[in-house]
Amino acid sequence: MKLQRIRIEHLRQFRQPFVLGGLQPGLNLIHGPNESGKSTLVRAIRAAFFERYRSTAVDDLRPWGDSAAAPTIELDFEHQGQLWRLTKSFLQRKRCDLTVGTDSYSEDDAEEKLAELLGYQYPKRGVSKAEHWGIPGLLWVEQGTGQDLEQSVEHAGDHLKSALNSLVGEVASSGGDELIDAIRAQRDTLLTGTGKPRGDYLQLERDRAQHQQDIAELGDRIVGYQEQVDRLGKLSQDYERAQSERPWEEAQRQLEQTRARYQQVERLEQQQSQEKATLAQLQQNHRLLQQNKEHQDSLGRQLVARKTELDKAEKELSLAQQQAPVVANRLSDAKAAYAAAEKKIKLARLLETRGRLEVDIQRLEQQEQLLTRNLTKARDYQNQVDQARQQLGVNRIGAADVKRLKQVAHQLNEASIRSSTIATRLSWQLEPGAALSLNDEPLEGQGEQQLLEESSLSVPGVGTLVIAPGGDELASTRRKLKTLQQTFDDQRTAMGVDTVEQAEDRLLAFEAAEQALKHAEELLNQVAPSGVALLLSSQSQVESELESAKVQLQATPRPEQGESVPALAEAEAALVRAGKELDEAESGERGYQNELLIRKQARENAKAEWQRLADEEQSPERQQQLQALAQDLENSVKQTVQLEASLDNREREIRDARPDLLLQDIERYQNTINTLRQTQESRERELRDIRVRLEAWGAEGLEEQLNDKQAELEQCNRRYLELDRRARALDLLLTLLTEKRQALTRRLQAPLQKHLDHYLSVLFPQATLEVDEQLRPGTFTRGAELGQMNELSFGAREQMGLISRLAYADLLRDAGRPTLVILDDTLVHSDRGRLEDMKRILFDAASRHQILLFTCHPEKWQDLGVPPVDIQALKG
Amino acid sequence: MPTFLHTADWQMGRSYSRFETEDGAALVEARFEAIEKLAQLANEHQCDAVLVAGDVFDAQTVSDRTVRRVFNATRGFSGPWVMLPGNHDAALAESVWTRAQRLGAVPENVHLALEPGVITLKPQGLAILCAPLTQRHTYGDLTEAFSHYETPESLLRIGLAHGSVQGLLSEDIDATNPIVPDRSDVSRLDYLALGDWHGTKQVNDRTWYSGTPEPERFRNNEAGYALVVSSAGPGAKPEVTSIPTGRYQWHQWREALAVESDLDQLLQRLETLPDPSVVDLRLEGSITLAGEARLLRALSVAEARFRSIRCDRSQLQLEPTDDDIAGLKADGYVGEVIENLRDRQQGDQSEAARDALAILAGLLKGREEESRQ
Repeated sequence: MKLQRIRIEHLRQFRQPFVLGGLQPGLNLIHGPNESGKSTLVRAIRAAFFERYRSTAVDDLRPWGDSAAAPTIELDFEHQGQLWRLTKSFLQRKRCDLTVGTDSYSEDDAEEKLAELLGYQYPKRGVSKAEHWGIPGLLWVEQGTGQDLEQSVEHAGDHLKSALNSLVGEVASSGGDELIDAIRAQRDTLLTGTGKPRGDYLQLERDRAQHQQDIAELGDRIVGYQEQVDRLGKLSQDYERAQSERPWEEAQRQLEQTRARYQQVERLEQQQSQEKATLAQLQQNHRLLQQNKEHQDSLGRQLVARKTELDKAEKELSLAQQQAPVVANRLSDAKAAYAAAEKKIKLARLLETRGRLEVDIQRLEQQEQLLTRNLTKARDYQNQVDQARQQLGVNRIGAADVKRLKQVAHQLNEASIRSSTIATRLSWQLEPGAALSLNDEPLEGQGEQQLLEESSLSVPGVGTLVIAPGGDELASTRRKLKTLQQTFDDQRTAMGVDTVEQAEDRLLAFEAAEQALKHAEELLNQVAPSGVALLLSSQSQVESELESAKVQLQATPRPEQGESVPALAEAEAALVRAGKELDEAESGERGYQNELLIRKQARENAKAEWQRLADEEQSPERQQQLQALAQDLENSVKQTVQLEASLDNREREIRDARPDLLLQDIERYQNTINTLRQTQESRERELRDIRVRLEAWGAEGLEEQLNDKQAELEQCNRRYLELDRRARALDLLLTLLTEKRQALTRRLQAPLQKHLDHYLSVLFPQATLEVDEQLRPGTFTRGAELGQMNELSFGAREQMGLISRLAYADLLRDAGRPTLVILDDTLVHSDRGRLEDMKRILFDAASRHQILLFTCHPEKWQDLGVPPVDIQALKG
Repeated sequence: MPTFLHTADWQMGRSYSRFETEDGAALVEARFEAIEKLAQLANEHQCDAVLVAGDVFDAQTVSDRTVRRVFNATRGFSGPWVMLPGNHDAALAESVWTRAQRLGAVPENVHLALEPGVITLKPQGLAILCAPLTQRHTYGDLTEAFSHYETPESLLRIGLAHGSVQGLLSEDIDATNPIVPDRSDVSRLDYLALGDWHGTKQVNDRTWYSGTPEPERFRNNEAGYALVVSSAGPGAKPEVTSIPTGRYQWHQWREALAVESDLDQLLQRLETLPDPSVVDLRLEGSITLAGEARLLRALSVAEARFRSIRCDRSQLQLEPTDDDIAGLKADGYVGEVIENLRDRQQGDQSEAARDALAILAGLLKGREEESRQ
């Protein structure tokens, strides 16, 4: 395919017709600066092919502001010796006309023809996009997309493969792909993507399992049925046999025999228990008789005992009576001793009183002496106190006043001294006899005076000198001195002293008087703490006490001389002892009288008892009773012996019959009968149950059902196996066809690789770029470098992209397909060296394909070996 | 001259799993018709009685409907029928027979030999010595008791038993329920009517297996007959006539196809079979695509004509000839796939490969025909 001429009108900036003619079959370099319409040209070519003429989405073609425009593109090109002319108008005049040689097509027909020729498709609506561009998308490189090869190859995919089919015609299959599709569709009705059953096939698999389960259940039920039938046979056999043999009747007979024997034993046991009762009565009677006899025998023994008791009581009474005088003596002695003790204690108490009075008198006398002494001293100390108090009155002076006076005197002294230092000193040393008078006071001899005020010194004969002392302080000093002197004089007068020394002496005398007072008061306090008056009254009280003690002593009688008087405590103890002795003696006497009474009573009782028994023992009725009793006892013993022998015999008889075993036998036979009957009854019941059950089950026709079910299963299985076989066959077929199909694709790789290698050897002499199964350049190696093409730098990718596209073009050309390569400002990222190589490649490719190279950098492409076409110039 | 019909092994209640539902139903129906046919034959041959030597029913628990229909089907012959329980319908404590009685399905003229003993048919001049199976299997000879049964001298002594005559049939068939081969002599029988073997078979002059009246399996053993037995009188040698009763013929063919003429022959043989046939084909060897097309066409025709025809071609390899392949116009890799599948038929996946090849050929042929139109 060779583009010869392009004419555009009413298209973007080309409002006027613009013609790009004389295009070369090989390389064409078309240049113009930015905005010159270069891109518009490229867009025009694309629009002419890709956009539907009736598309409403191509407003971008309209010249700016011209709503009435009908953008029109006219293309002339040659393909396989025929001239093609395409005229396409958009928007305001939607038209498409195509003439091929002498044939002409219009509208949709024309567009379809073009799409088939170049291998692309139209969008269903809207603007044509990359996915519609097919093979031209691969060969027509838009500005800045040269490196994005993968997408382009993918979009070209189907067109590419069908375009290349002729290349590998000997292996491609006509309609092979439809065949694969048909088989895949058939397979997919049976199998999922992963080869699992689906649809009918899956349903059959499930049905089959369901049938198998049903059959197993039916089988189980049939087995159950047969078991029940067998059970029925066995059971009815047993039942019939039992019914004819009637084993429970034999057991019944044995039961009755055993019962009869047991009843016999029971009768014996009854007799035995009656006789045992008789024996017990006999024994009871015998016991009573013996008791009676014993009672009779005991009467004699009692009489003897009573006599003994009487004798003992007599003896005890006489013994008690003998003790009477002893008891009486002891009482009278005790009484005498108690009287003596009482007398002694009276004496002892008298003596005690006298002693106490004598001690009191002695103490009172000493007290009286001491009081008298103290009274004397007290009077003396009172005098001292009075004296000291008088002294105090004479010398009363305040210690604080003295101190204050001393201070004033001291200040006065200091002020005097200060005044003398600042005073005008007037010294004089007069000739003896010379007399002067100062302030009218004469001066003689030698002296000195301080002058504090204006003074007049009269020198006899001379006149009078007035001396006025100077200095500022002098007046104040003089005032202060005067004040102090005044104060001192006032205080002194108040205190009644002339000098400080005199005041101090008076203070000393005052303090001494104070001391003396304190001392005398202390002494007085020692001897008369409560005062002298109290001391006086105490003394008179003691004196009266003493007097009364002496009177009391006189009144107390003095014990007789020679009479022994015990101590009071001793006498008291003796009296207690005597009292105790007397109490004992008196109580002993009372006890004795009591005992005597009791003994007498005992003796009387014993005598009465003995008398009663002695009377009874001798009565004749008693003798008769004793005789009858002996006879009865003898009879009783004889009867008992007889009865015991009889009991023994019967006991043995019963034991030998083993009534316990007989009872067990009865139970056993009873159980046997019950069991046998119950067994037979339960057989009958079970027979009935089984019959009912079997009737019900039999009516279901289980085995016939099973037969039917098995038939269903087999049919299901048959169908399943058919589908299974079909599924496996389809799967196999699909696998094989797909594999072969892939192998075919792989065979297309080789020629593409060859073309790619051709260009690559110019660009990277040592590199390889492998084409994968999808016919895409994939792994790139250069020396030790290994990686995917899209890992390369942008520039390298662009260069790789371009040579790949050229390789596709070569492949397409081999397959007899049209090839037109359009490059819009490509390779802008290539350095000078690479660009040189790329120029060589382009020049080489241009020998096989028409290449339109649009650029705004014509200087870069100067050495391409073709004359550049300047759009600007053409416009002009 | 007493005459009776000897039949056995009706196996009523059996269904036919290997066939399509419709065909199976027809075959079941044919068995009921066979009973009616027997009644008709008994009338035609003026038989005094019909003796059924066991396995009237295929199982104990068949449906009530089947039970009733069986007895209904005997109505055509009003003379006495004697039915003997066999191993499939043994006279157990509860059996298909007790059920039939309970249902009131057994007509007056049908005698059920549920217990060992003699059924005397005086008017007919027959004493039937019966050896019913009262258990599913026995290992002793139930006919031994025949020797002890006394019968009136004037009556024929006819034994009726179900089991396998020892030493006659191959060992693996019914080793249970044995019968000594000389039972008729030992027990002074005029005739011993046997059941269990589904083909008609003579054991000796007086001992026969009647076989089943309607075939129900492919084993080719003279099934589909009943025996009409007549005797001049006690001690006389009985006259036994075999009468065909079967409606369907069962054919099972195993054929190996190698050359074109093998197929021709097979198709010819199929054509000669009568319409009421049940055919089971299993083919081996190899066949061309053209041959297969013929075969399929012939099978399609046969399906319509026969009661049932089934053809197992899983062992039959497809060997497309060069012409076949040319006819398919399979070029490029599809051709390669065909070649590959042809090879694979020899290997592990032979069946899948064969089917795959058939599918592919079918698709290609369809496409070819489409393009031709």
